[in-house]
Amino acid sequence: MAVTMAKQSEQHSGLLYGLVNRMIILALLILLTFLLPRLMPGDPVDMLISSDVARDLSAAERTALQVQMGLNAPLWEQFGGYVLGILKGDLGYSAHHAAPVTSLLASALPWTGLLIILSLPVFLIVGVGLGIEAGQRPHRRLDHAVTGLMTLFASLPPFAVAVLLLAVFGFLWPLFPASGAEPLFPSDDLVTNIFEILYHAALPALALAAHEIVRFYYLSRGEAMKLSVRPFVINAYARGITGWRARIHYYGRNLLPVLLARLSDSLSTLVSTVLYVEIVFSYPGIGTLLYGAILERDFVLLQGVILGLATCVLMTNWGIDVVVSSLAERG
Amino acid sequence: MVTRFYGTLKQWQNLLAGLAVLLFLAVLFLSFLPSYDVGYNTLQAPSRSHWLGTNDIGQDVLTGILTALPNTVLVAVLASLMALFLAIVMAANAAIAKGWVAALILRLVDILHIIPSILVLLLFAAWIQPGFLGMILLIGLTSWHDDVRVLRALILRERTRENVAFARQMGAGWGYCLWRHILPSVWPAITGLFVQHIRQSTMKVAGLGFLGLTDPRLVTWGSMMQDALDYLHMSAALWLLLPPGLCLCLFLLLALALGRRLERYSLAEERDLS
Repeated sequence: MAVTMAKQSEQHSGLLYGLVNRMIILALLILLTFLLPRLMPGDPVDMLISSDVARDLSAAERTALQVQMGLNAPLWEQFGGYVLGILKGDLGYSAHHAAPVTSLLASALPWTGLLIILSLPVFLIVGVGLGIEAGQRPHRRLDHAVTGLMTLFASLPPFAVAVLLLAVFGFLWPLFPASGAEPLFPSDDLVTNIFEILYHAALPALALAAHEIVRFYYLSRGEAMKLSVRPFVINAYARGITGWRARIHYYGRNLLPVLLARLSDSLSTLVSTVLYVEIVFSYPGIGTLLYGAILERDFVLLQGVILGLATCVLMTNWGIDVVVSSLAERG
Repeated sequence: MVTRFYGTLKQWQNLLAGLAVLLFLAVLFLSFLPSYDVGYNTLQAPSRSHWLGTNDIGQDVLTGILTALPNTVLVAVLASLMALFLAIVMAANAAIAKGWVAALILRLVDILHIIPSILVLLLFAAWIQPGFLGMILLIGLTSWHDDVRVLRALILRERTRENVAFARQMGAGWGYCLWRHILPSVWPAITGLFVQHIRQSTMKVAGLGFLGLTDPRLVTWGSMMQDALDYLHMSAALWLLLPPGLCLCLFLLLALALGRRLERYSLAEERDLS
């Protein structure tokens, strides 16, 4: 009893440690997004003017604009206002989109979420399935073939996979739409609409999954190789247990904790991959929003998106950690 | 002990000599390279005058590939070297120093590990538009934390060995022990980490190039692929996209194979040692 109590409190302090670390990161990011623009030559007014098609400003207009944007206040006062705004959920106003950053984020986030959720079953089933298949009989022909293929895949940067899929299935053999998330004129029928959305998401989700398949393949192959020489598995083989029963109950079940632990790690790589994938497929999610901000030199939007995205990622993978540790507590 | 000492010296010499040769070759290579000029022959298919065709503003693709070679590969190698050096310094401090220094370093590593590095890269790259040196600094400074935990574990294990204890007894400082005793014995693992790091850095360089976040004058294989995106519906995609894509894939594959070999070698070495 005492042992389990100690273990529990250790787990809880681990989760707390993670939470505190995440708070530190967010604080650092806020500081960074505040300082970077101010360390650069010029000020936000220059930025606004140089990046737009604009006429020259007279000195008076310039000062008026600076006062309006609060740039004449002392630095600490500006910082206070900035932090206060963020805490209130105000990430700034994008002049290019003529909309607050938070509303832009809110409209882009569901699309990115959809891609990640759709890719989840694909890479889990394909990656883990192939991993178990190859790992239960290591160094056979199947293992060599699949591992070779995966090595090749591992050597493709995520955006290269996306471009390849787009070129092959979007243009050479146009099975799927090449860009966008919806048809130009969404139909009134809900079922057709849902189908169209899934149809548009299929190729980007596949591109997103491709990168994770490799990671989960290596992980589950290694674990399955270790399991394949464990006595209870050998015993099961001797009792004539093969096929799906062996794969699911003997391998799958024992892989579960490792896979879950890896999943919270995966979120960061998924997010960085999804940015590239969306840009390649012009998918209207966070990645495209971010890319547009980069191209238009819209730094307010860029920083807002990065802050918002970081908050989402950090909170979600902390949530996964909590779930994993509570699962581990149950045994 | 004597052989070990010469061992390290030789290893460092090898590494530095290798780098010097690489740099020399790069300079030589760049001085012979035809300039990457725009021309009137846009989107030409591969021919005898342009072996890999030309792009949308008439630049020769082959010249582009060769110009981008050091900008992608050398940047990745140097960034990894910098990251590895930082990681060794940090890991040694975390392993040997006690108290708040070690705690601080480990905390920093944990913190940097949680945040998707792409976000930090994006933030900095968008503001500074890094060129050759900027890329090296940016990638080196944002990726050193990857190797600290592994290196710290290795150093912690090596510092308990008798040769280290003996040297300490004779009054040697930790710097001396690290340089003459600890690092030589974990050298194979370090080279393995280095090669793996090169892979990661290459992907980052190519990725930033692909996003157009580098200095626009810096041609990388990633930025060439980005340029090809607009022509996917034409046959021009064939010679605009495939050459940089294949070069990137080939280099990453090479690094992977080399890393695997080094890993196997270091495992064998560990068995010999223990």
